[in-house]
Amino acid sequence: MSALVLALPDRRRIARLAIPLGVVITSLLVSLLLIAISGRSVPEAIEAFLDGAFGTAFAFGASVNRAVALSMVGLGFILAFRANLTNVGGEGQIAVGGIAATAVALHGHVADLPLGLAVLLPILAGTLAGAAWGGIAGLLKVRFGTNEVISTLLLGFIALLMVYWSVQSTALLRQPQTSSATLPESLPIPPLTRLPGLTPDPESPLHVGLIICLLAAVATAVVLQRSTFGLRLRAIGLNELAARRAGMPGGLLLMAALAIAGGFGGLAGAIMLQGEQYYLKTGFSSGYGFDGLVVGLLSRGSAIGVLAGALFFGFLRSGGISMEIMAGVPAALTLVIQGLIVIAVAGSVILIEKLDKEPR
Amino acid sequence: MHGMPEGGVGQTAAAAMRPLLALESLGKRFGNLQALKDVALEFRAGEVHCLLGENGAGKSTLCNLIFGVYRPDEGVMRFAGKEWAPSGPAEALDSGIAMVHQHFSLVPRMTVVENLMLGQSRGILKRRQFAAMIRATAERFGFTLDPEAVVGELSVGERQRTEIVKCLMREPRLLVLDEPTAVLPPGEIGALLDICRRVADSGRAVILVTHKLAEIAKVADRVSVLRGGQVVAKAEMASADMGALVRAMVGREVKSLDVALAEAAGRTETRAGGDEKAPHALVCDGLGVRDRHGATRLDNFTLEIRAGEIVGLAGVEGNGQSELGMVLAGLLRPSAGRFFIGDTDLTAAGAAAVTAAGGGIVPEDRHAVACVTGMSVAENMYLNKLGQFTRFGLLRRKALNEAARGLMRNFDVRAAGPEAAFSGLSGGNQQKAVLARELTLSPLKALVAAQPTRGLDINAVEAVYRQIRAAANRGAGVLLISSELDELIAVADRIVVLYRGRLVGERPARASERGAIGALMSGQAA
Repeated sequence: MSALVLALPDRRRIARLAIPLGVVITSLLVSLLLIAISGRSVPEAIEAFLDGAFGTAFAFGASVNRAVALSMVGLGFILAFRANLTNVGGEGQIAVGGIAATAVALHGHVADLPLGLAVLLPILAGTLAGAAWGGIAGLLKVRFGTNEVISTLLLGFIALLMVYWSVQSTALLRQPQTSSATLPESLPIPPLTRLPGLTPDPESPLHVGLIICLLAAVATAVVLQRSTFGLRLRAIGLNELAARRAGMPGGLLLMAALAIAGGFGGLAGAIMLQGEQYYLKTGFSSGYGFDGLVVGLLSRGSAIGVLAGALFFGFLRSGGISMEIMAGVPAALTLVIQGLIVIAVAGSVILIEKLDKEPR
Repeated sequence: MHGMPEGGVGQTAAAAMRPLLALESLGKRFGNLQALKDVALEFRAGEVHCLLGENGAGKSTLCNLIFGVYRPDEGVMRFAGKEWAPSGPAEALDSGIAMVHQHFSLVPRMTVVENLMLGQSRGILKRRQFAAMIRATAERFGFTLDPEAVVGELSVGERQRTEIVKCLMREPRLLVLDEPTAVLPPGEIGALLDICRRVADSGRAVILVTHKLAEIAKVADRVSVLRGGQVVAKAEMASADMGALVRAMVGREVKSLDVALAEAAGRTETRAGGDEKAPHALVCDGLGVRDRHGATRLDNFTLEIRAGEIVGLAGVEGNGQSELGMVLAGLLRPSAGRFFIGDTDLTAAGAAAVTAAGGGIVPEDRHAVACVTGMSVAENMYLNKLGQFTRFGLLRRKALNEAARGLMRNFDVRAAGPEAAFSGLSGGNQQKAVLARELTLSPLKALVAAQPTRGLDINAVEAVYRQIRAAANRGAGVLLISSELDELIAVADRIVVLYRGRLVGERPARASERGAIGALMSGQAA
């Protein structure tokens, strides 16, 4: 009798693990089936995927670096989401962060500054630019009631075109001499403004962005769970009128939430630029903003969830690219596979929630 | 009509043989809370059956079991002779059970006919035919409803009638109304009860949930009293002892509401009004509010309330009380005039400044303005004072919960603990928590309480007024906005009357003035 009672929560705990695991495995099997149907060799595709995701120190580092950028956007997303704000402008916030970081890194004597300022100043500039970009959406919301989904999305398009503009125009960031063979892009940023590597292994692209990201995750978790600011965001997200009645500065809180979310996006942009890419070009943000948004959505508001989701997506993306190059799996198909997995994970979240709601 | 014969005495007698719906030892728990226990009840066609009980007695849970929202943990239900285990509200509707919920589910920007077509029409919309059906249904039950009216422009009573027609068009055999009178202004309650009577007379069973005893006598055939999830009394209305029903409901001896209130208020008939020499607590100087369309909602509202005084603001709802409440709460900037708490001009200062100046606000709409139901009891009780529990930006949750525990004890807020979800509290406990928050401002100079007892049971009403009186005795000036004239007379020192946004008169708070105040409320010049 008592054994039965004890067994019940256990069964639920197992289901909690088994559901997402089973769902992901199923979607992976379906993906393999799709690859087989498309006429490619399945073993080759698997090998290419694993190689690209974790196979070498380089592949592993590149995957983790992707996860870092995705985490930053995801962390910003869950913070704003606590105030019931949906920031879909990660892509644009990355872009303005990248522009600002490039501009500062290339500016005069910034590369010669001591005490790590050569690295920190561009990062700071990228973060502030992203925060400003998010803050504009916040201001529009507070002053004119513009829905932040629309404003952040449209500001994103503006930012992408601003990248295009700044690398096309020599008066801005375009490198002075380009041959017809090179795309319009900025000069590479000086080595001293680049993020230092994390390991002595020269093969590994891992850089200190990972540390920044982990610190940001801890800070986000503390703000959301322990701070009065986090509680106020929650209050305003749940009932804005009651929060205002209780004397909370509603407009400021909403603007702050979107500015912080934007700041995280800008930071991601700066880290991507100074950690890996080293020069600005069109398509610089390459979808990280939207993938980060998905990471944030799937995490259900938890910072650890963001990190886990970002790692998953980071490996998936690296592996997918490798599958495309090495095994000739069409790019469209890797996107389909990614989509499948996203739907599967989202669905398993709903299943678990349902399980939690069931009585007993 | 599903071949249902028109009701009459014979029909009622025949139906009395076999109930339409029978509940047998029904039980329901939510976690540790036993919401219903061993409930056995019968509901008959042709009868209005009142379910009486305080907040949290289990009335709504019972309705939701019948309507298929929840499933019982114990016991069985039988509907029309067959076992009744609905899979959800959809099956209940299909089987002939309809429910009017306390909160309406209507789209404000659509017309009545559009709202009603939403759930019941498929393919090509037959608007005209539907409108005719709405008119006919309303007429059959003795009221009128304009199918082309936009719902957002209807009164609460008209919206409720829209919901009732929505139910009746499905020709239900059982109609459940959950607290239908709680949202209605006093003048519309009678009309609702007439409709209930007619619905029952047409051979249907009606379950009317309420905690206002006076309403029962007018319409019920039968009354059952729930307390703590159990049926504690059943009676035929014709032979019922009202005193016994009240005792059963509250579980202790209570006097009439008037006596209870007067005692809670600590006031005797001989008490004079406020002290002439006491300083001003709240001063409104020519306040005016215009709405978005430019219509005047509040016009040259001037009132001075002294420390220690309770001023009742009487008036039929919708005569500017909501606007006044929003202005004094610091949430709406008036288009004219100024207001002060103590000597501080707060006209354009905002909600935080009102709180800082010692203005306690109990808003009329508890769920929309007073609290965040998705947060904990402790968080809500200190929503405006979170700064006190903040060190280096971090919330000291232990200290917050500890403080809340003390406040819950002082104000008799009953909840599992300070971390309990606010949404799980009964209406009375929620209101006590809001009062606790607003009355513990220090110093509390003025209190504005708008409809503070709406939807509360007698015990909670008494507790609320005892706290408000105590605040006045400690020196706060109180503006009590209510549409319950009896409560105002029992609690206030003097009563001013608001009609169409204007103050139209002032009377002493005496029972003998009830007629004069009523005349002012209805717009007849004194």
